Amino acid sequence: MSDILCARNIVKQYAGHRALDDVSLSVPEGSVYGLLGPNGAGKTTLIRIINRITAPDSGTLEFDGRPMRADDIYRIGYLPEERGLYKKMKVGEQALYLARLKGLSRADARAQLEKWFCKFGIMGWWDRKIDELSKGMAQKVQFIVTVIHRPRLLIFDEPFSGFDPINAQLLRDEILNLRNEGATVIFSTHNMASVEEICDHITLINKSRNILTGPVDEIRRSWGTGTYRVDFTGDPTVLAAALQGLCTTEEAAPEAAADAGRLQSLLLKPERDGIPVRELVGRINETVEIHGFRESVPSMNDIFIKAVEASNDSPEK
Amino acid sequence: MNSKITLIIQREFNQRVRKRSFIISTILMPILMVGIMAVPVLIAMYGSSPSSTREIVVIDSSGVVAPALQSGQGIAFTPTTMPNDSARTAPQYSGAYGFLVVGPQVVENPSELTLYTRESSTLAIESNIREQARQAIYQKRVEQADVPGLDSILQRLQVRTTLTTYLLNAQADGGEAAKESSSAASMVVSYAMGFIIYMFIFIYGAAIMQGVIEEKSNRIVEVIVSSVKPFQLMMGKIVGMALVALTQFAIWVVLIGGAMLAIQHFALGSADAMPAELASIVKSLDGMYLLKMTGAFLIFFTGGYLLYASMFAAVGSAVENAQDTQQLQLPITIPLILAIVVMMNVMRDPTSTVAFWFSIIPFTSPIIMIARMPYGVPAWEVALSAVLLYATFLLIVSLAAKIYRTGIFMYGKKPTLAEMLRWIRYKG
Repeated sequence: MSDILCARNIVKQYAGHRALDDVSLSVPEGSVYGLLGPNGAGKTTLIRIINRITAPDSGTLEFDGRPMRADDIYRIGYLPEERGLYKKMKVGEQALYLARLKGLSRADARAQLEKWFCKFGIMGWWDRKIDELSKGMAQKVQFIVTVIHRPRLLIFDEPFSGFDPINAQLLRDEILNLRNEGATVIFSTHNMASVEEICDHITLINKSRNILTGPVDEIRRSWGTGTYRVDFTGDPTVLAAALQGLCTTEEAAPEAAADAGRLQSLLLKPERDGIPVRELVGRINETVEIHGFRESVPSMNDIFIKAVEASNDSPEK
Repeated sequence: MNSKITLIIQREFNQRVRKRSFIISTILMPILMVGIMAVPVLIAMYGSSPSSTREIVVIDSSGVVAPALQSGQGIAFTPTTMPNDSARTAPQYSGAYGFLVVGPQVVENPSELTLYTRESSTLAIESNIREQARQAIYQKRVEQADVPGLDSILQRLQVRTTLTTYLLNAQADGGEAAKESSSAASMVVSYAMGFIIYMFIFIYGAAIMQGVIEEKSNRIVEVIVSSVKPFQLMMGKIVGMALVALTQFAIWVVLIGGAMLAIQHFALGSADAMPAELASIVKSLDGMYLLKMTGAFLIFFTGGYLLYASMFAAVGSAVENAQDTQQLQLPITIPLILAIVVMMNVMRDPTSTVAFWFSIIPFTSPIIMIARMPYGVPAWEVALSAVLLYATFLLIVSLAAKIYRTGIFMYGKKPTLAEMLRWIRYKG
């Protein structure tokens, strides 16, 4: 799998503040790539550099394995975090205008727009002004104009903010559809649940630096502690005694508040390698009623917090 | 890439000319202008002939004034021999508008003229009576002097002067070819053109600023600059707006010109009905002159507009709402207002040193040079001024573009002028 986008050693300096410090990343073609980081970490600056809105002070960008060119912006679709459309302009007219700015011919733009408007069931909005629409409706229009020119690389900055769950689901499906049709998606978000759900690669930026990068499953496994979690009803001390010699146990808080009175949870850490899971489950099964047993892989949320805290604690270079 | 700028220009133009405010101001302005010019003419034509005739009973104990009074212009004079008191109550005069009482010694003492009216009299009636009585008394006095031919002697003693002015032209080979000039005409044209440029720069410059602020606070700017360069967006807006301004101006010229011709044709009929000033203005407007003025106007208007619009765009990019622009606008509005102040001075003496320098310095030259044009300006000065204006525009627009491309992404704190100038050094 080749990389559609490669950023090498990007540095961007603003007055008295380094927004990006030697950031590199490679986005594999066909992936859904999460660009994560706390507020003010430099994500938006990096996205603007990829979009050629601003230029880096140093560092290079490669698109499709060659240095990026000015006309590559027509192969990129960008949905900024702060959405915006002309309020007084009619929806159809505006969508046509933005589509043509992306290099589509008038006829082509119109045909594509009609296809998308029908798909979203919003053909009736064509002659209405944006300020007559609700926020969610305007978001749909904005999404359409982002993808209308069939870009090979899509960049979404917080795409789900402002959508209700139903429309967020619709949007998620459309994004994955586009990926299945061959587009590559870069996602910038704080929503770690959505990262786990759809991203296959991530880069975590903190304080202008790239602190963590790689495929999501590798990262989660490498941050894993090799522990198991068991949810059960029964006596925890009996269970702990039954597992003596195999695992150390630690009480864990229930995952949902609603389960608090009903279920107990323990974290099990095997004392040595090579203990078969089957044996563990067998022992547990003999002593308590199992409601759940799984390998405890850290969530992206935990990894995010731990990685950011670790990099904040480490001394500045 | 150029097709992108064309798209932006098209959008800017279409959105603006379709706005209700544009349509209304484009139509209302000529109506207002024509109205201002036409109302005095119409009043002069119809206002002086009231619909009904007013009867004024004349009680003349001198016998001098009453026979000379001519009825007309809505007044009918009825001489009577009745004394004042009984005439006022007489039934046949119950409908009379008023009573003019002339004293017996009116020839010696012209203040023995009294007008009693049932409702308050008008200026027109009073001056009519005063003038007719003056004529009658004057005639009587001439007769009483008993000098043969006195009347014609007196008439010959009246002096009326007219001054015709000619502009000596090097190319013209004689007095006849020298064009008849009129300083009144030059002044009107000069003032009108200078003021129109000032107004257009201000109105359309502020509209550019407003548009930039709108795009920034709408956050659409980020969507657009992911397709085109910030400079293209800024220039597209500026050029689109220039076309709007020129369109509006062209519509005004056509509408006002047409209306003026119509008024001339229907209302004035012959040239002598025109006020003398207007007549001389019309006379001094020949084709060549008009062409020269229009050309100069377009060159200096466009240059001045482009220069100021780029500065307005830079200011607009730095703020999020229009209230924040006051202070940042100052460096733009001061030269403009200065130009208008200097223009008044220039119209008094178009060849002064002040006039020369302000018509060369780019920030005031669009207004001052155009205000000087009707008085005649050497070609090299015009050319120098125009070249400087456009060169300054190129410099300012490149600086403005740098401020703009940084400014449109700056949210939060309102920047100071010094900060804005620092943005010029940022790498794009």
